[in-house]
Amino acid sequence: MSVNEKFTSIRKGLLEFLVLKVIAADKVYAADILDQLSRTEFATQEGTLYPLLSKMRREELVDYEWKESDAGPPRKYYQLTAKGREQLKETSEYWQKINATLRNLGQP
Amino acid sequence: MNKVISINLNGNAYQLEEGGFEALRAYLDTAARRLESNPDKAEIMADIEEAIAAKFRSLLGPNKTVIVAKEVADIIAEMGPVEDAAGAAEIPHPGAGAPAGAGRDAEGAAPVPPARHLFKIHEGAKIGGVCTGLAAYFNIDVTLVRIAFAFLIFAWGSGLLLYVLMWFILPSASTPAEMAAAHGMASATAQEFIRRARQGYYEGTRTFGDKRAYREWKRRFKSEMRGWKQQVKWGVPPWTPNPPPAGAWIALPVLNTLISAVSIIGFIALVSLVATGDVFGLGFFVWWPFWARILTLVGLIGLVRCPLKAIRRSYYGYPWGHWGPSGSLWCVLKWVFVVYLVVWIFGIHTGLHDAVQHLPPKLHHAASSVEQWWNQQ
Repeated sequence: MSVNEKFTSIRKGLLEFLVLKVIAADKVYAADILDQLSRTEFATQEGTLYPLLSKMRREELVDYEWKESDAGPPRKYYQLTAKGREQLKETSEYWQKINATLRNLGQP
Repeated sequence: MNKVISINLNGNAYQLEEGGFEALRAYLDTAARRLESNPDKAEIMADIEEAIAAKFRSLLGPNKTVIVAKEVADIIAEMGPVEDAAGAAEIPHPGAGAPAGAGRDAEGAAPVPPARHLFKIHEGAKIGGVCTGLAAYFNIDVTLVRIAFAFLIFAWGSGLLLYVLMWFILPSASTPAEMAAAHGMASATAQEFIRRARQGYYEGTRTFGDKRAYREWKRRFKSEMRGWKQQVKWGVPPWTPNPPPAGAWIALPVLNTLISAVSIIGFIALVSLVATGDVFGLGFFVWWPFWARILTLVGLIGLVRCPLKAIRRSYYGYPWGHWGPSGSLWCVLKWVFVVYLVVWIFGIHTGLHDAVQHLPPKLHHAASSVEQWWNQQ
């Protein structure tokens, strides 16, 4: 089993965190998120992202508004809610702790 | 050359090759099933359809109006399987069959083709809709069918006979369900697409903030839906019944009684002709061969019934061309032509008369010679 395969479930679990990060940076629509993730190890597909976004909206982490686009019908632009920002902050802190643990564990 | 099917994704029409349509349908059906328990199912489906539509749009241009099956397959692969974020994706839906097959009800699984039926199709017909019906049934170009019939007419007129017989026998595809069956498609699928489109529309409008943008979008959506309805030849009724005109309450029962009376008398006459070789002892063209007499009688019954039925149809308010007021005229002309043809063949041209009288044995001869040729191969 390659490292890539071993980390499949971890990547899946982290996806929500990454999506929060992407949305926190700027108002984006789904294709933007996919595009930004596609250049990372967390590249994903519409089939996964849309259900995830809908779950996050249900949990009131994100919100969206319709905006006209130059080409085609209006798009849903996502942004973080207060709860989403709070969640992102907590997750970031927790991730720092994990990183610190990884760095420090086993060190003399 | 492949058949093209128009579909609606979130209120826009796209043309797909038949194979691509089937694959997309299977993909969306699987997605819908996996999201069955998700409270946001409708919204996610609308998002997914919009994403597919956006990918279609990027492929289309002024010189490319149809998405081929390969492109649909690529897009489906790009989209990836729809997984419920709540974690329900791994649970097979009830009735998926053996546990081992749980992961296999995947995208692109061949759906069961719905049953095809042979109908006359008046849309795009030249004469009676027989050729268009056959073309839809066998999924081939209608021109080929017409050429085949033209050739058969030269083969001792058998094409003509065959055509006229099918004209009498085949039912017309008039309802959306019949139209779908004529093309071998499930109309339920079409209904499902419409339902989704509408749902997508309402989902969209509900969350719209800007009033002007909302109005503009609504206007565009509506005009696109209208255009699309004209295009789609299955699932959506190409007509909407008008309110019945005044006097329908008295005219309809009278018409129905008249039509029934004509049908019953016609049927008894036909039974009498088959049983005794004559209609009620009136000496009905007794000097003609038996089959020509039957043909003429059926033609005469049609001649009487057609205008009555056309009037009744106009009372039911079907505004489409073939069955409009001109439809009844066309219908009468059709039957006049059939009767005239029979009279002409047996009344005037003695040479042709002999030839047609010997038609059934000749047909038999032709069939056996084809059989011989086949056996030699």
